[in-house]
Amino acid sequence: MAERYDVIVVGAGPAGLTAAIYAARARLRTLVLDESIPGGQVKTTHKVSNYPGFPEDVKGSELAAAFAKQAERFGARIARAIEITKHDLGGPLKRFELDEGEEVEAPAVIVATGAKPRDLGVPGETKFKGGGISYCATCDGAYFEGKDIHVIGGGNSAVEESLFLTQFARTVTIVHQLDTFQAEPASAQEALANPKVRVIWDSEPRAFLGETSLEKLRIENVKTHEVRELATDGVFVFIGMVPRTDLLKGLVPLAASGYVETDESMATPVPGLFAAGDIRVKRFRQITTAVADGTIAALAAQRFLKDRR
Amino acid sequence: MNMHVKEISGAQFDAEVLASDAPVVVDFYSTECPPCEALAPKFDAVAEQFAGQARFLKVFRQANRELAQKLGVTGSPTLLFFRRGIEVAARLSGDEIKRTALKASVESMLQEPRHG
Repeated sequence: MAERYDVIVVGAGPAGLTAAIYAARARLRTLVLDESIPGGQVKTTHKVSNYPGFPEDVKGSELAAAFAKQAERFGARIARAIEITKHDLGGPLKRFELDEGEEVEAPAVIVATGAKPRDLGVPGETKFKGGGISYCATCDGAYFEGKDIHVIGGGNSAVEESLFLTQFARTVTIVHQLDTFQAEPASAQEALANPKVRVIWDSEPRAFLGETSLEKLRIENVKTHEVRELATDGVFVFIGMVPRTDLLKGLVPLAASGYVETDESMATPVPGLFAAGDIRVKRFRQITTAVADGTIAALAAQRFLKDRR
Repeated sequence: MNMHVKEISGAQFDAEVLASDAPVVVDFYSTECPPCEALAPKFDAVAEQFAGQARFLKVFRQANRELAQKLGVTGSPTLLFFRRGIEVAARLSGDEIKRTALKASVESMLQEPRHG
């Protein structure tokens, strides 16, 4: 027998946890599923400076834990480190099988699975993942004490995580495909002024090279087409995200970009199925915009459940 | 940590891993590493499931940097699969290690023909 909930939220990032706070406070039986610990991308962000209510910087991991604690205070159950091994979201009662065992179901589901780091798709990337290539500065930064490392990308994540990495590394060389940063001006200027940070503009990685561990990064200047190999102790990749839409493929329309289309109330064309946060087609993906989506999705789900009674 | 998972130091690695008769899964983890925290309950669950068939060990990377470096482990978490002192399955690393993927790697490790 599947255990019955009113709302099942998939993804415990800012959107999903906010949806859970609202749903649980509305006395809906609420379950949140996540394949990791709560927090989504926020949990591996070393500091958050622009989330309202925190006049000083807050660690991403602390903010994430606070979101989860708040949702649990109102009675939401957060299932951590689970894997969805089967799902059927098309019908009036949506079902999930968890870890090849437990079954859960609910008439309303909010998919807030967000996005994951984009792979570069260049030779050697798979081989050196965890062997010199990293996607998480807080996880691996401290091991590069006194080392010379490279960061790929030029957006907010790339620039801010580069600044974080300067605490440990001897030099941080940012390789960016354009000739200016896309990051917010404040952090872009801070990076350019930091004596440990160097920037190679107009260049893209072409290969990761090494015997057993990563030794060199091959880059190409996209304007001059000059190819160079740089000795490196480690490479951190922050080149944007791709949406996690596995649960929704074939069920709801996806935009050409791969993101999910919803209406203003976060509803998909499937009754009772909502999407919130970074997974949606939207112009800006911030913690604050994810939180807004989660709020709206929970309120819309609450209305949906009320109307169908 | 549950009773099916044991923490070892770098000094114990040769005896506990390389010289082990039973196949061994080794998890290199760090603190301040959310993907490591996320892996821990999956590691515990799979360890329990394969109790008696394989051993599940953890190495704290910060305190055992030399060993990690020697093995070329530069990301946390990283899982290594040993049988008779030889790595017999592809390493798993990062935020995306699913329980089913870990199980599949353990199963392939167990099926590996004996070396030596």
